Amino acid sequence: MKRFRRGVPALLLALGLAVLAMPEVAAWLMGGTQGPYPAARLLDLALDHAALSLAGVLPAGLLGLVLGVVVTRPGGRGLRPAADAAAAVAQAVPPIVVVALAVPAFGFGWAPTILALMLYGIMPVLRATVGALEAVPPETRLAAEAVGLSPRQVLQEVELALAWPLVLDGLRVALVLAVATTAVGALAGAATLGTPIVIGLQNQNQVLVLQGAAATAALAFLADALLLMAVPARD
Amino acid sequence: MIAQPVIAIEGVTVRFGTTDALRDVTLHVKAGEFCALVGPSGSGKSTLMRLVNRLVVPSAGQVRVRGQDVATLPAPALRRSIGYAMQSVGLFPHRTVAENIGTVPRLLGWDAPRIARRVEELLALLRLDPAMGVRLPRALSGGQAQRVGIARALAADPDILLMDEPFGAVDPITRRELRAETRRIHAETGKTILLVTHDPEEALELASHVVVLRDGRIEADGAPADLVAPDAAPFVRELLGGGQPGLRWLSLLPARGALDPRPAPVGAAMLARNASLADALSVLAESGDEALGMEGEKGSVRAEGILGARR
Repeated sequence: MKRFRRGVPALLLALGLAVLAMPEVAAWLMGGTQGPYPAARLLDLALDHAALSLAGVLPAGLLGLVLGVVVTRPGGRGLRPAADAAAAVAQAVPPIVVVALAVPAFGFGWAPTILALMLYGIMPVLRATVGALEAVPPETRLAAEAVGLSPRQVLQEVELALAWPLVLDGLRVALVLAVATTAVGALAGAATLGTPIVIGLQNQNQVLVLQGAAATAALAFLADALLLMAVPARD
Repeated sequence: MIAQPVIAIEGVTVRFGTTDALRDVTLHVKAGEFCALVGPSGSGKSTLMRLVNRLVVPSAGQVRVRGQDVATLPAPALRRSIGYAMQSVGLFPHRTVAENIGTVPRLLGWDAPRIARRVEELLALLRLDPAMGVRLPRALSGGQAQRVGIARALAADPDILLMDEPFGAVDPITRRELRAETRRIHAETGKTILLVTHDPEEALELASHVVVLRDGRIEADGAPADLVAPDAAPFVRELLGGGQPGLRWLSLLPARGALDPRPAPVGAAMLARNASLADALSVLAESGDEALGMEGEKGSVRAEGILGARR
Protein backbone atom coordinates (compact mmCIF):
# COMPACT_ATOMS: atom_id res chain seq x y z
CA MET A 1 0.00 0.00 0.00
CA LYS A 2 2.81 2.31 1.02
CA ARG A 3 4.53 2.04 -2.33
CA PHE A 4 1.36 3.05 -4.19
CA ARG A 5 0.95 6.11 -2.06
CA ARG A 6 4.48 7.21 -2.95
CA GLY A 7 3.53 7.66 -6.60
CA VAL A 8 0.33 9.61 -6.00
CA PRO A 9 1.71 13.20 -6.04
CA ALA A 10 3.56 12.63 -9.33
CA LEU A 11 0.49 10.95 -10.76
CA LEU A 12 -1.72 13.93 -9.86
CA LEU A 13 0.80 16.33 -11.41
CA ALA A 14 0.87 14.23 -14.57
CA LEU A 15 -2.92 14.36 -14.71
CA GLY A 16 -3.01 18.15 -14.26
CA LEU A 17 -0.42 18.65 -16.99
CA ALA A 18 -2.29 16.31 -19.34
CA VAL A 19 -5.42 18.42 -18.87
CA LEU A 20 -3.35 21.49 -19.67
CA ALA A 21 -2.18 19.86 -22.91
CA MET A 22 -5.74 19.25 -24.14
CA PRO A 23 -6.52 21.39 -27.22
CA GLU A 24 -9.54 23.18 -25.72
CA VAL A 25 -7.83 24.01 -22.44
CA ALA A 26 -4.58 25.19 -24.03
CA ALA A 27 -6.39 27.28 -26.64
CA TRP A 28 -8.63 28.87 -24.03
CA LEU A 29 -5.66 29.68 -21.79
CA MET A 30 -3.49 31.20 -24.51
CA GLY A 31 -6.39 32.84 -26.30
CA GLY A 32 -4.69 31.92 -29.56
CA THR A 33 -6.27 32.54 -32.92
CA GLN A 34 -4.52 29.68 -34.69
CA GLY A 35 -5.76 26.09 -34.24
CA PRO A 36 -4.53 23.87 -31.42
CA TYR A 37 -2.97 20.42 -31.93
CA PRO A 38 -5.69 17.74 -32.09
CA ALA A 39 -5.89 15.47 -29.08
CA ALA A 40 -5.77 12.21 -31.06
CA ARG A 41 -2.53 13.18 -32.81
CA LEU A 42 -1.07 14.36 -29.52
CA LEU A 43 -1.78 10.90 -28.09
CA ASP A 44 -0.03 9.25 -31.06
CA LEU A 45 2.97 11.47 -30.49
CA ALA A 46 2.97 10.62 -26.79
CA LEU A 47 3.15 6.90 -27.59
CA ASP A 48 6.03 7.48 -30.04
CA HIS A 49 7.68 9.69 -27.46
CA ALA A 50 7.42 7.03 -24.76
CA ALA A 51 8.76 4.34 -27.08
CA LEU A 52 11.71 6.48 -28.12
CA SER A 53 12.48 7.32 -24.48
CA LEU A 54 12.49 3.66 -23.55
CA ALA A 55 14.63 2.78 -26.56
CA GLY A 56 17.21 5.26 -25.26
CA VAL A 57 16.99 4.65 -21.55
CA LEU A 58 16.95 0.84 -21.55
CA PRO A 59 20.40 0.43 -23.12
CA ALA A 60 21.66 3.29 -20.98
CA GLY A 61 20.33 1.60 -17.85
CA LEU A 62 21.78 -1.75 -18.83
CA LEU A 63 25.15 -0.19 -19.63
CA GLY A 64 25.16 1.82 -16.38
CA LEU A 65 24.26 -1.28 -14.38
CA VAL A 66 26.90 -3.47 -16.03
CA LEU A 67 29.56 -0.76 -15.68
CA GLY A 68 28.60 -0.24 -12.04
CA VAL A 69 28.98 -3.96 -11.33
CA VAL A 70 32.28 -4.20 -13.24
CA VAL A 71 33.96 -1.29 -11.47
CA THR A 72 33.02 -2.67 -8.04
CA ARG A 73 34.52 -6.15 -8.72
CA PRO A 74 38.05 -6.76 -7.44
CA GLY A 75 39.34 -7.07 -11.01
CA GLY A 76 37.59 -3.94 -12.33
CA ARG A 77 38.31 -1.48 -9.56
CA GLY A 78 41.05 0.16 -11.65
CA LEU A 79 38.47 1.15 -14.27
CA ARG A 80 36.44 3.15 -11.77
CA PRO A 81 38.00 6.62 -12.36
CA ALA A 82 37.80 6.21 -16.13
CA ALA A 83 34.16 5.09 -16.00
CA ASP A 84 33.22 7.94 -13.66
CA ALA A 85 34.93 10.50 -15.90
CA ALA A 86 33.37 9.14 -19.07
CA ALA A 87 29.89 9.13 -17.54
CA ALA A 88 30.35 12.69 -16.25
CA VAL A 89 31.49 13.95 -19.67
CA ALA A 90 28.59 12.17 -21.34
CA GLN A 91 26.17 13.95 -19.07
CA ALA A 92 27.90 17.33 -19.38
CA VAL A 93 27.34 17.48 -23.14
CA PRO A 94 23.89 19.01 -23.81
CA PRO A 95 21.66 16.47 -25.58
CA ILE A 96 20.78 19.02 -28.25
CA VAL A 97 24.47 19.14 -29.23
CA VAL A 98 24.65 15.35 -29.43
CA VAL A 99 21.55 15.28 -31.62
CA ALA A 100 22.91 18.01 -33.88
CA LEU A 101 26.29 16.29 -34.21
CA ALA A 102 24.76 12.84 -34.70
CA VAL A 103 22.45 13.82 -37.59
CA PRO A 104 25.24 13.91 -40.20
CA ALA A 105 26.43 10.48 -39.02
CA PHE A 106 23.12 8.66 -38.51
CA GLY A 107 20.71 10.71 -40.59
CA PHE A 108 17.33 12.01 -39.43
CA GLY A 109 14.98 9.94 -37.30
CA TRP A 110 15.32 8.01 -34.04
CA ALA A 111 19.05 7.16 -34.07
CA PRO A 112 20.52 10.57 -33.06
CA THR A 113 18.01 10.86 -30.21
CA ILE A 114 18.67 7.34 -28.95
CA LEU A 115 22.39 8.13 -28.90
CA ALA A 116 21.80 11.33 -26.91
CA LEU A 117 19.49 9.55 -24.44
CA MET A 118 21.97 6.75 -23.96
CA LEU A 119 24.83 9.09 -23.20
CA TYR A 120 22.62 11.12 -20.91
CA GLY A 121 21.18 8.16 -19.01
CA ILE A 122 24.31 6.20 -18.13
CA MET A 123 25.54 8.39 -15.31
CA PRO A 124 22.51 8.33 -12.98
CA VAL A 125 22.32 4.55 -13.22
CA LEU A 126 26.09 4.06 -12.89
CA ARG A 127 26.24 6.35 -9.85
CA ALA A 128 23.27 4.67 -8.20
CA THR A 129 24.60 1.18 -8.87
CA VAL A 130 28.08 1.89 -7.54
CA GLY A 131 26.70 3.70 -4.49
CA ALA A 132 24.24 0.92 -3.72
CA LEU A 133 26.80 -1.87 -4.13
CA GLU A 134 29.26 -0.02 -1.92
CA ALA A 135 26.57 0.37 0.73
CA VAL A 136 26.25 -3.41 1.14
CA PRO A 137 27.73 -4.12 4.61
CA PRO A 138 31.15 -5.77 4.27
CA GLU A 139 30.30 -8.34 6.93
CA THR A 140 27.25 -9.44 4.95
CA ARG A 141 29.44 -9.95 1.90
CA LEU A 142 32.06 -11.79 4.00
CA ALA A 143 29.38 -14.04 5.48
CA ALA A 144 28.05 -14.83 2.02
CA GLU A 145 31.51 -15.84 0.86
CA ALA A 146 32.27 -17.74 4.03
CA VAL A 147 29.20 -19.97 3.86
CA GLY A 148 30.09 -20.93 0.30
CA LEU A 149 28.28 -18.68 -2.17
CA SER A 150 30.21 -18.42 -5.44
CA PRO A 151 31.24 -14.89 -6.52
CA ARG A 152 28.33 -14.88 -8.95
CA GLN A 153 25.89 -15.95 -6.23
CA VAL A 154 27.26 -13.30 -3.87
CA LEU A 155 26.54 -10.69 -6.55
CA GLN A 156 23.07 -11.93 -7.49
CA GLU A 157 21.68 -13.17 -4.21
CA VAL A 158 23.20 -10.69 -1.80
CA GLU A 159 24.73 -7.61 -3.40
CA LEU A 160 22.20 -6.91 -6.16
CA ALA A 161 19.31 -8.10 -4.02
CA LEU A 162 20.25 -5.50 -1.40
CA ALA A 163 21.21 -2.81 -3.93
CA TRP A 164 18.14 -3.22 -6.12
CA PRO A 165 15.89 -0.49 -4.66
CA LEU A 166 18.65 2.12 -5.00
CA VAL A 167 19.49 0.98 -8.53
CA LEU A 168 15.82 1.36 -9.47
CA ASP A 169 15.91 4.86 -8.02
CA GLY A 170 18.77 5.67 -10.38
CA LEU A 171 16.87 4.13 -13.25
CA ARG A 172 13.88 6.30 -12.39
CA VAL A 173 15.99 9.45 -12.52
CA ALA A 174 17.42 8.34 -15.87
CA LEU A 175 13.93 7.61 -17.25
CA VAL A 176 12.50 10.97 -16.17
CA LEU A 177 15.50 12.76 -17.70
CA ALA A 178 15.08 10.71 -20.86
CA VAL A 179 11.37 11.47 -21.24
CA ALA A 180 12.04 15.18 -20.82
CA THR A 181 15.00 15.09 -23.19
CA THR A 182 13.28 13.09 -25.92
CA ALA A 183 11.44 16.28 -26.98
CA VAL A 184 14.74 17.42 -28.48
CA GLY A 185 14.45 14.53 -30.94
CA ALA A 186 11.88 16.57 -32.86
CA LEU A 187 14.78 18.65 -34.19
CA ALA A 188 16.19 15.51 -35.82
CA GLY A 189 12.86 14.70 -37.37
CA ALA A 190 11.67 12.07 -34.87
CA ALA A 191 7.97 12.25 -34.11
CA THR A 192 7.86 13.18 -30.41
CA LEU A 193 5.96 15.56 -28.17
CA GLY A 194 8.68 18.03 -29.18
CA THR A 195 7.11 18.18 -32.62
CA PRO A 196 4.25 20.55 -31.67
CA ILE A 197 6.82 22.71 -29.83
CA VAL A 198 8.98 23.01 -32.97
CA ILE A 199 5.98 23.72 -35.19
CA GLY A 200 4.62 26.23 -32.69
CA LEU A 201 7.93 28.09 -32.49
CA GLN A 202 8.21 28.21 -36.29
CA ASN A 203 4.65 29.54 -36.71
CA GLN A 204 4.58 31.62 -33.54
CA ASN A 205 1.69 29.54 -32.24
CA GLN A 206 2.05 29.58 -28.44
CA VAL A 207 -0.82 27.13 -28.00
CA LEU A 208 1.18 24.37 -29.70
CA VAL A 209 4.25 25.19 -27.59
CA LEU A 210 2.21 24.97 -24.41
CA GLN A 211 0.57 21.71 -25.49
CA GLY A 212 3.90 20.07 -26.35
CA ALA A 213 5.60 21.24 -23.19
CA ALA A 214 2.71 20.26 -20.91
CA ALA A 215 2.33 16.85 -22.57
CA THR A 216 6.08 16.14 -22.28
CA ALA A 217 6.06 17.07 -18.60
CA ALA A 218 2.92 14.99 -18.03
CA LEU A 219 4.62 11.95 -19.56
CA ALA A 220 7.77 12.50 -17.44
CA PHE A 221 5.73 12.66 -14.23
CA LEU A 222 3.74 9.60 -15.28
CA ALA A 223 6.99 7.65 -15.77
CA ASP A 224 8.18 8.85 -12.37
CA ALA A 225 4.95 7.77 -10.71
CA LEU A 226 4.97 4.34 -12.36
CA LEU A 227 8.53 3.57 -11.27
CA LEU A 228 7.91 4.92 -7.77
CA MET A 229 5.08 2.46 -7.49
CA ALA A 230 7.19 -0.38 -8.88
CA VAL A 231 10.04 0.08 -6.39
CA PRO A 232 9.50 -1.46 -2.97
CA ALA A 233 9.42 1.25 -0.34
CA ARG A 234 12.48 1.44 1.88
CA ASP A 235 12.25 2.30 5.52
CA MET B 1 48.37 -45.90 13.04
CA ILE B 2 48.45 -42.23 13.95
CA ALA B 3 45.16 -40.43 13.37
CA GLN B 4 45.34 -37.78 10.64
CA PRO B 5 44.68 -34.30 12.00
CA VAL B 6 41.43 -33.02 10.47
CA ILE B 7 42.99 -29.57 10.14
CA ALA B 8 46.71 -29.32 9.41
CA ILE B 9 48.41 -25.98 8.93
CA GLU B 10 52.01 -26.58 7.90
CA GLY B 11 54.61 -23.82 7.97
CA VAL B 12 52.17 -21.14 6.79
CA THR B 13 53.13 -17.52 6.28
CA VAL B 14 50.48 -14.95 5.34
CA ARG B 15 51.61 -11.62 4.02
CA PHE B 16 49.24 -8.64 3.66
CA GLY B 17 51.18 -6.04 1.69
CA THR B 18 54.46 -5.63 3.50
CA THR B 19 53.37 -6.94 6.90
CA ASP B 20 53.28 -10.58 7.92
CA ALA B 21 49.96 -11.48 9.52
CA LEU B 22 51.29 -14.98 10.23
CA ARG B 23 54.87 -16.20 10.21
CA ASP B 24 55.75 -19.84 9.69
CA VAL B 25 52.82 -21.19 11.70
CA THR B 26 52.22 -24.90 12.16
CA LEU B 27 49.08 -26.18 13.87
CA HIS B 28 47.35 -29.56 13.94
CA VAL B 29 43.78 -30.00 15.14
CA LYS B 30 42.48 -33.52 15.69
CA ALA B 31 38.96 -34.65 14.89
CA GLY B 32 36.50 -33.79 17.66
CA GLU B 33 38.81 -31.31 19.37
CA PHE B 34 37.52 -27.98 20.62
CA CYS B 35 40.42 -25.73 19.74
CA ALA B 36 40.51 -22.08 20.87
CA LEU B 37 42.77 -19.54 19.21
CA VAL B 38 43.46 -16.80 21.71
CA GLY B 39 45.65 -13.73 21.64
CA PRO B 40 45.63 -9.93 21.59
CA SER B 41 44.05 -8.14 18.63
CA GLY B 42 46.31 -8.15 15.62
CA SER B 43 47.95 -11.39 16.73
CA GLY B 44 46.71 -13.20 13.63
CA LYS B 45 44.12 -15.50 15.21
CA SER B 46 41.30 -14.65 12.77
CA THR B 47 43.70 -14.91 9.84
CA LEU B 48 44.78 -18.34 11.07
CA MET B 49 41.16 -19.50 11.24
CA ARG B 50 40.29 -18.14 7.81
CA LEU B 51 43.05 -20.23 6.24
CA VAL B 52 40.90 -23.28 6.95
CA ASN B 53 38.05 -22.33 4.60
CA ARG B 54 40.33 -20.45 2.23
CA LEU B 55 39.02 -16.97 3.01
CA VAL B 56 42.74 -16.28 3.41
CA VAL B 57 45.32 -17.78 1.08
CA PRO B 58 48.81 -18.54 2.41
CA SER B 59 51.83 -16.82 0.89
CA ALA B 60 53.89 -19.85 1.85
CA GLY B 61 53.15 -23.23 3.39
CA GLN B 62 50.22 -25.59 3.07
CA VAL B 63 46.77 -25.97 4.63
CA ARG B 64 45.17 -29.42 4.66
CA VAL B 65 41.58 -30.10 5.67
CA ARG B 66 40.60 -33.77 6.06
CA GLY B 67 43.91 -34.64 4.48
CA GLN B 68 43.37 -32.57 1.33
CA ASP B 69 45.34 -29.49 0.36
CA VAL B 70 42.69 -26.72 0.33
CA ALA B 71 44.46 -24.98 -2.57
CA THR B 72 43.37 -27.89 -4.78
CA LEU B 73 39.67 -27.70 -3.76
CA PRO B 74 37.06 -25.33 -5.23
CA ALA B 75 36.53 -22.65 -2.55
CA PRO B 76 32.68 -22.63 -2.54
CA ALA B 77 32.48 -26.42 -2.12
CA LEU B 78 35.10 -26.35 0.65
CA ARG B 79 33.25 -23.56 2.47
CA ARG B 80 29.88 -25.33 2.24
CA SER B 81 31.46 -28.30 4.01
CA ILE B 82 32.66 -26.15 6.94
CA GLY B 83 30.36 -24.22 9.28
CA TYR B 84 31.17 -20.55 9.83
CA ALA B 85 29.80 -18.28 12.54
CA MET B 86 31.08 -14.75 12.93
CA GLN B 87 31.11 -11.92 15.45
CA SER B 88 29.00 -9.44 13.50
CA VAL B 89 26.66 -12.40 12.78
CA GLY B 90 26.44 -11.41 9.09
CA LEU B 91 22.86 -12.57 8.65
CA PHE B 92 21.44 -11.66 5.25
CA PRO B 93 19.17 -8.71 6.08
CA HIS B 94 16.80 -9.34 3.16
CA ARG B 95 16.20 -12.99 4.05
CA THR B 96 14.06 -14.43 6.83
CA VAL B 97 15.54 -16.36 9.74
CA ALA B 98 14.52 -19.65 8.12
CA GLU B 99 16.04 -18.65 4.78
CA ASN B 100 19.23 -17.58 6.51
CA ILE B 101 19.53 -20.88 8.35
CA GLY B 102 18.73 -22.81 5.18
CA THR B 103 21.38 -21.07 3.06
CA VAL B 104 23.95 -23.85 2.83
CA PRO B 105 21.45 -26.72 2.47
CA ARG B 106 19.89 -24.75 -0.41
CA LEU B 107 23.33 -24.28 -2.01
CA LEU B 108 23.86 -28.02 -1.62
CA GLY B 109 20.61 -28.67 -3.49
CA TRP B 110 18.50 -30.14 -0.68
CA ASP B 111 14.77 -30.24 -1.44
CA ALA B 112 12.44 -27.78 0.29
CA PRO B 113 10.80 -30.20 2.79
CA ARG B 114 14.21 -31.45 3.94
CA ILE B 115 15.45 -27.88 4.41
CA ALA B 116 12.28 -26.98 6.34
CA ARG B 117 12.75 -30.01 8.63
CA ARG B 118 16.39 -29.12 9.23
CA VAL B 119 15.55 -25.48 10.01
CA GLU B 120 13.01 -26.65 12.55
CA GLU B 121 15.56 -28.97 14.17
CA LEU B 122 18.12 -26.19 14.41
CA LEU B 123 15.69 -23.67 15.88
CA ALA B 124 15.01 -26.28 18.55
CA LEU B 125 18.72 -27.08 19.06
CA LEU B 126 19.52 -23.38 19.59
CA ARG B 127 16.38 -23.00 21.79
CA LEU B 128 14.77 -20.48 19.47
CA ASP B 129 11.02 -20.03 19.09
CA PRO B 130 9.87 -22.01 16.01
CA ALA B 131 7.66 -19.04 15.07
CA MET B 132 10.81 -16.98 14.62
CA GLY B 133 11.53 -18.55 11.25
CA VAL B 134 9.43 -16.05 9.30
CA ARG B 135 11.01 -12.96 10.86
CA LEU B 136 13.67 -10.79 9.29
CA PRO B 137 17.01 -10.43 11.11
CA ARG B 138 16.36 -6.81 12.07
CA ALA B 139 13.52 -7.96 14.31
CA LEU B 140 15.88 -10.07 16.45
CA SER B 141 17.78 -9.22 19.63
CA GLY B 142 21.58 -9.51 19.60
CA GLY B 143 21.54 -12.85 21.38
CA GLN B 144 18.84 -14.28 19.10
CA ALA B 145 20.76 -13.13 16.02
CA GLN B 146 23.89 -14.89 17.32
CA ARG B 147 21.91 -18.08 17.85
CA VAL B 148 20.56 -17.85 14.31
CA GLY B 149 24.13 -17.28 13.07
CA ILE B 150 25.29 -20.44 14.85
CA ALA B 151 22.26 -22.35 13.53
CA ARG B 152 23.17 -21.26 10.00
CA ALA B 153 26.72 -22.51 10.53
CA LEU B 154 25.41 -25.89 11.67
CA ALA B 155 22.73 -26.24 9.00
CA ALA B 156 24.37 -28.73 6.66
CA ASP B 157 25.79 -30.70 9.62
CA PRO B 158 29.45 -29.93 8.85
CA ASP B 159 32.10 -31.93 10.74
CA ILE B 160 34.14 -28.73 11.21
CA LEU B 161 32.81 -25.51 12.73
CA LEU B 162 34.70 -22.21 12.61
CA MET B 163 33.59 -19.58 15.14
CA ASP B 164 35.10 -16.11 14.89
CA GLU B 165 34.36 -14.38 18.23
CA PRO B 166 30.75 -15.53 18.02
CA PHE B 167 29.92 -14.19 21.49
CA GLY B 168 31.65 -10.84 21.04
CA ALA B 169 28.73 -8.51 20.59
CA VAL B 170 26.30 -9.65 23.28
CA ASP B 171 25.76 -8.86 26.94
CA PRO B 172 27.52 -10.95 29.62
CA ILE B 173 24.46 -13.02 30.56
CA THR B 174 23.64 -13.94 26.97
CA ARG B 175 27.30 -14.61 26.47
CA ARG B 176 27.38 -17.14 29.27
CA GLU B 177 24.28 -18.85 27.87
CA LEU B 178 25.77 -19.02 24.39
CA ARG B 179 29.00 -20.49 25.75
CA ALA B 180 27.06 -23.16 27.58
CA GLU B 181 25.08 -23.80 24.39
CA THR B 182 28.29 -24.19 22.42
CA ARG B 183 29.78 -26.56 24.96
CA ARG B 184 26.59 -28.63 24.86
CA ILE B 185 26.57 -28.73 21.06
CA HIS B 186 30.21 -29.83 21.02
CA ALA B 187 29.51 -32.56 23.55
CA GLU B 188 26.41 -33.76 21.68
CA THR B 189 27.75 -33.64 18.13
CA GLY B 190 31.47 -34.28 18.52
CA LYS B 191 32.28 -31.74 15.83
CA THR B 192 35.74 -30.28 15.45
CA ILE B 193 35.41 -26.67 16.56
CA LEU B 194 37.89 -23.88 15.96
CA LEU B 195 37.04 -20.83 18.07
CA VAL B 196 38.69 -17.43 17.83
CA THR B 197 38.44 -15.38 21.00
CA HIS B 198 40.27 -12.57 22.74
CA ASP B 199 38.85 -13.72 26.07
CA PRO B 200 41.30 -16.11 27.80
CA GLU B 201 38.69 -17.26 30.27
CA GLU B 202 36.40 -18.28 27.45
CA ALA B 203 39.23 -20.20 25.78
CA LEU B 204 40.14 -22.09 28.97
CA GLU B 205 36.53 -22.78 29.86
CA LEU B 206 35.46 -24.17 26.50
CA ALA B 207 38.46 -25.62 24.76
CA SER B 208 40.25 -28.93 25.00
CA HIS B 209 43.15 -27.45 23.04
CA VAL B 210 44.29 -23.85 23.41
CA VAL B 211 46.56 -22.02 20.97
CA VAL B 212 48.05 -18.70 22.06
CA LEU B 213 49.14 -16.29 19.35
CA ARG B 214 51.27 -13.18 19.47
CA ASP B 215 52.47 -11.06 16.53
CA GLY B 216 51.66 -13.72 13.98
CA ARG B 217 53.39 -16.58 15.79
CA ILE B 218 52.14 -19.39 17.98
CA GLU B 219 53.41 -18.81 21.51
CA ALA B 220 51.89 -21.91 23.02
CA ASP B 221 49.79 -24.85 21.91
CA GLY B 222 48.45 -27.46 24.27
CA ALA B 223 45.88 -28.56 26.85
CA PRO B 224 44.50 -25.66 28.93
CA ALA B 225 46.02 -26.90 32.21
CA ASP B 226 49.48 -27.19 30.65
CA LEU B 227 49.42 -23.59 29.45
CA VAL B 228 48.82 -22.10 32.90
CA ALA B 229 51.04 -24.61 34.72
CA PRO B 230 53.93 -23.07 36.70
CA ASP B 231 56.46 -24.09 34.05
CA ALA B 232 54.57 -22.52 31.13
CA ALA B 233 55.97 -19.50 29.24
CA PRO B 234 55.56 -16.21 31.19
CA PHE B 235 53.62 -14.38 28.41
CA VAL B 236 51.19 -17.26 28.13
CA ARG B 237 50.72 -17.58 31.89
CA GLU B 238 50.15 -13.86 32.15
CA LEU B 239 47.62 -13.79 29.29
CA LEU B 240 45.69 -16.85 30.45
CA GLY B 241 46.23 -16.58 34.18
CA GLY B 242 43.84 -13.71 34.90
CA GLY B 243 46.17 -12.40 37.66
CA GLN B 244 46.02 -15.69 39.62
CA PRO B 245 47.58 -18.28 37.35
CA GLY B 246 48.02 -20.71 40.23
CA LEU B 247 44.30 -20.77 41.06
CA ARG B 248 43.35 -20.96 37.39
CA TRP B 249 45.70 -23.88 36.99
CA LEU B 250 44.06 -25.69 39.91
CA SER B 251 40.64 -24.97 38.37
CA LEU B 252 41.71 -26.95 35.29
CA LEU B 253 42.97 -30.02 37.17
CA PRO B 254 40.51 -32.70 38.38
CA ALA B 255 40.29 -33.20 42.12
CA ARG B 256 40.20 -36.96 41.53
CA GLY B 257 43.85 -36.79 40.57
CA ALA B 258 44.72 -35.81 44.14
CA LEU B 259 42.77 -38.61 45.84
CA ASP B 260 44.47 -39.89 48.95
CA PRO B 261 43.95 -43.53 50.06
CA ARG B 262 43.19 -42.41 53.61
CA PRO B 263 39.44 -42.25 54.24
CA ALA B 264 37.70 -38.94 54.74
CA PRO B 265 36.81 -38.07 58.34
CA VAL B 266 33.25 -38.66 59.35
CA GLY B 267 31.01 -35.70 58.53
CA ALA B 268 33.50 -34.17 56.06
CA ALA B 269 32.11 -32.20 53.13
CA MET B 270 31.69 -34.18 49.90
CA LEU B 271 33.00 -33.19 46.47
CA ALA B 272 31.30 -33.99 43.18
CA ARG B 273 33.24 -36.44 41.03
CA ASN B 274 33.92 -33.83 38.35
CA ALA B 275 35.13 -31.17 40.82
CA SER B 276 38.42 -29.42 40.13
CA LEU B 277 41.26 -28.87 42.58
CA ALA B 278 40.15 -25.24 42.80
CA ASP B 279 36.67 -26.40 43.82
CA ALA B 280 38.25 -28.62 46.48
CA LEU B 281 40.33 -25.73 47.77
CA SER B 282 37.26 -23.52 47.91
CA VAL B 283 35.28 -26.09 49.92
CA LEU B 284 38.25 -26.63 52.26
CA ALA B 285 38.52 -22.89 52.84
CA GLU B 286 34.83 -22.67 53.68
CA SER B 287 34.62 -25.78 55.87
CA GLY B 288 37.90 -25.33 57.72
CA ASP B 289 38.40 -29.14 57.48
CA GLU B 290 41.65 -30.78 56.56
CA ALA B 291 40.17 -33.38 54.27
CA LEU B 292 37.12 -33.82 52.04
CA GLY B 293 35.32 -36.87 50.77
CA MET B 294 34.37 -37.51 47.18
CA GLU B 295 31.15 -39.04 45.93
CA GLY B 296 31.65 -42.67 45.02
CA GLU B 297 35.25 -42.81 46.24
CA LYS B 298 36.68 -44.36 49.41
CA GLY B 299 39.67 -42.02 49.78
CA SER B 300 39.85 -38.34 50.62
CA VAL B 301 41.09 -35.11 49.10
CA ARG B 302 43.50 -33.34 51.43
CA ALA B 303 44.99 -29.87 51.57
CA GLU B 304 48.52 -31.17 51.17
CA GLY B 305 47.39 -33.21 48.15
CA ILE B 306 45.87 -30.14 46.48
CA LEU B 307 48.92 -28.02 47.08
CA GLY B 308 51.11 -30.92 46.01
CA ALA B 309 49.82 -30.70 42.45
CA ARG B 310 53.17 -29.29 41.46
CA ARG B 311 54.97 -32.42 42.71
